[in-house]
Amino acid sequence: MNENLHILESLKHSSPIIQLIWGLSCLFFIIIAILTFYLKYLRNHLRVNEKIETKYQEIYESYLVTYLYAGNDEEAFSSEQQIIIEKLKKYAADPFKRKIIVSTLLKLRNEISGEMGESIDKLFIKLGLLRYSLAKLRSKKWDVIAIGIRELTQFKIKAVHKIIMNNINHPKREVRKEMQFYLVHLYAFEGLEFLNVLETPLSEWDQIQLLEVLQLNNNTQIADIKPWLKSSNDSVVIFALKIAKVYNQFEAKEVLIELLNHKCEDVRINAISALSHLNIIEAKNILKNNFNDRGHEEQIGFLKMMENVYEASDKTFLMEHINHKSTEIKLLVIEVLKNINFEEFALNEAELKKTLTA
Amino acid sequence: MYTSTLQIIMTIIHYFFLVFSAIAIASYVILAIISAIETIEYMKKNSFVNYKEILSSTFSPSISIIAPAYNESLNIVENVRSLLSSYYVNYDVIIVNDGSKDDSLSKLIEAYDLIQIDNLFNEHIKTKPLRKGIYKSTNPAFDKLTVIDKENGGKADALNMGLNMSKNKYVACIDVDCLLLEDALQKLIKPFLETTDVKVIAAGGVIRIANSCTVKDGKLLDVNFPKTWLEQGQILEYLRAFLLGRMAWSRLNGLLVISGAFGLFDKKIAIKVGGYDTNTVGEDMEIIVRMRRYMEDQKQKYKVAYIPDPLCWTEAPDNYKTFISQRNRWTRGTIETLKKHRKIGFNPKYKSLGLISYPYWFFFERMAPIIEVTGIIYFGILIFLNEVRWDYAFAFIIVAYLFSVLFSIVAIVSEELTYHQYKKKSIGFKLIMIAFLEPFVNHPTILYSAIKGNIDYYFYKKIEWGTMTRKGMTKA
Repeated sequence: MNENLHILESLKHSSPIIQLIWGLSCLFFIIIAILTFYLKYLRNHLRVNEKIETKYQEIYESYLVTYLYAGNDEEAFSSEQQIIIEKLKKYAADPFKRKIIVSTLLKLRNEISGEMGESIDKLFIKLGLLRYSLAKLRSKKWDVIAIGIRELTQFKIKAVHKIIMNNINHPKREVRKEMQFYLVHLYAFEGLEFLNVLETPLSEWDQIQLLEVLQLNNNTQIADIKPWLKSSNDSVVIFALKIAKVYNQFEAKEVLIELLNHKCEDVRINAISALSHLNIIEAKNILKNNFNDRGHEEQIGFLKMMENVYEASDKTFLMEHINHKSTEIKLLVIEVLKNINFEEFALNEAELKKTLTA
Repeated sequence: MYTSTLQIIMTIIHYFFLVFSAIAIASYVILAIISAIETIEYMKKNSFVNYKEILSSTFSPSISIIAPAYNESLNIVENVRSLLSSYYVNYDVIIVNDGSKDDSLSKLIEAYDLIQIDNLFNEHIKTKPLRKGIYKSTNPAFDKLTVIDKENGGKADALNMGLNMSKNKYVACIDVDCLLLEDALQKLIKPFLETTDVKVIAAGGVIRIANSCTVKDGKLLDVNFPKTWLEQGQILEYLRAFLLGRMAWSRLNGLLVISGAFGLFDKKIAIKVGGYDTNTVGEDMEIIVRMRRYMEDQKQKYKVAYIPDPLCWTEAPDNYKTFISQRNRWTRGTIETLKKHRKIGFNPKYKSLGLISYPYWFFFERMAPIIEVTGIIYFGILIFLNEVRWDYAFAFIIVAYLFSVLFSIVAIVSEELTYHQYKKKSIGFKLIMIAFLEPFVNHPTILYSAIKGNIDYYFYKKIEWGTMTRKGMTKA
């Protein structure tokens, strides 16, 4: 005791720097102690939660499988299904268990389609889970709103369309993105109407996901893409060009050709790719005439296009570029020439190979 | 007169060490706070991302995985299998056998039914010539695989050969011994595809240590904690560096390095800057600095992205000899890169790159070990001269030690709150233990390696493949 007092007394008379340093040391020591105990608690908590989650997930999965096979054509819900619904409803009252139920339903919903899928959608509403998803839309946290929209998308809740549209200009990109997926998931091409008013860029990541969602839809009714091809938003134009390619939009031929002179290089490259895919020969002559004025990527795109739409009369044009400074272009030119006259130009290729591997 | 001058010099030295330490600690704390903010933001953004849609999409951009190999015979077949088992749809794997003296090539030929092919590629970057040539598999199951056998030219040269060979838009440069997680490519490609306001030129993610982990058919089955302090210390070091450092630099767009173990690059830019530098041992850092410098010179908006997801697992040195050699190389790489690009340093033209990233790396990565060792030597001299104020010395040593322990524990907590990879019981205790021991176990060796790296750089310059004796990961 006396010794401790002595230490404190000597600390009191030491310089302010020493006092500060010991103060910091004490602070660090206390934080270390707190964090060590917290870490112990956290690891235990995570382990226990994981176990509980696995346990409940198994229970709910078995309930849901029974539910799916207990349906009949006469009633909306069979008596056996009613019993399961009541049990799940009780579980759903607890937020932790509700989260597991929703994730189990989502997992199952992603794995099945058709009548069984619709049955899961009905169950989602019957369990009153829709209420909680809608409540998420009113949250102040953007990530909660995004999760809410995703849930409504997965369970195909069309009735909340208007509420979801309130987020069309949400400041957070992720929320806007989820809203776009909701529209396309549920309304396919009709849902793409948001492109008419979209001012922010549509990232490549979003474009890929939207195209994938569109392909899941069996609706053969394809929207008129021409207005999007004329959009002032370059990313919308590029996305529309991809749609033109995937859905063989020959009807948009004139607009596609016009895009060869678009101010944005990426748009021009994608336009060449779409025209090439659609084998539109008119584009070839336009591109041939101003080949030297175009960027490297455009030139490569055009020569790849030539592989599909070449004619014997193109030989003169190609011969002009057989000694192009870019090896990539040289190779593509030879490739097309080989298609026109294999024996004559296979030799050129062999020579080029020798130069490259020397 | 003489005594008072000496006193003044000593006071200046003391204040220099005090100020340097205070700035270092402050910068670590600031970086940790920024990292936490960035990680939380990332976790929120990605908690509901559906990667499956990208995986199966034929619209997803093409990626080439380039893996250079030198005398990797022990694990090469299994490692290539791991690289071939990615869930991503649009990718190929290019293994560059850099003049290995062992039977790596014959093992690959046998395991993957390879035959020599006649392939034409554009030599954008000058490399050592092919040795036996280019191989493709006759088995359709391995049609994504290409093996190039070339003359020895070092890791950078092998990567350049891969860059020449790749026909894809993006290239993932990876150490062949790395165990790539199946979803690593789609996670790492995301920053390139979702960023619309700037061009992402490179991206990296978290590398984890696979020592003692169980692996089967190129897949990680069970995460274990290694037994030796050296390996445990490195786990902690990686956690600190990746979770509390690089996330912050990503937020500040100031990353100067993407781990050579695994990084994704925009191929066009990588080729435009001339590929990897074959005259440095720190080619992974150097190419990032050069790419950044190129973008700054071109006045193009760009970003080097970083994600906190664990993407690949790698074997770390399990003995002091290899550990010292590895850290020695890292030190020389840092010196070489900073020296080569000294024009950037403190140059307002390069904005945050020149005014924040470069100075930080110069003072707290390049110079820190030298200053620390100088401090230790100076302390020894003071003891010898009986000039030590023990009340000061004791207080400073304790506070420095406690801060390093605290920083490590914060890194462990971050790991638990985010990815919780070390799930098994008792690992938590071991992690805490190593946080207390690491300053005595690993840190002195790191200091020694850094000083040796400096000596080697100035007196025995030579470039070689980082040789590491592979034990192979624990097989199930």
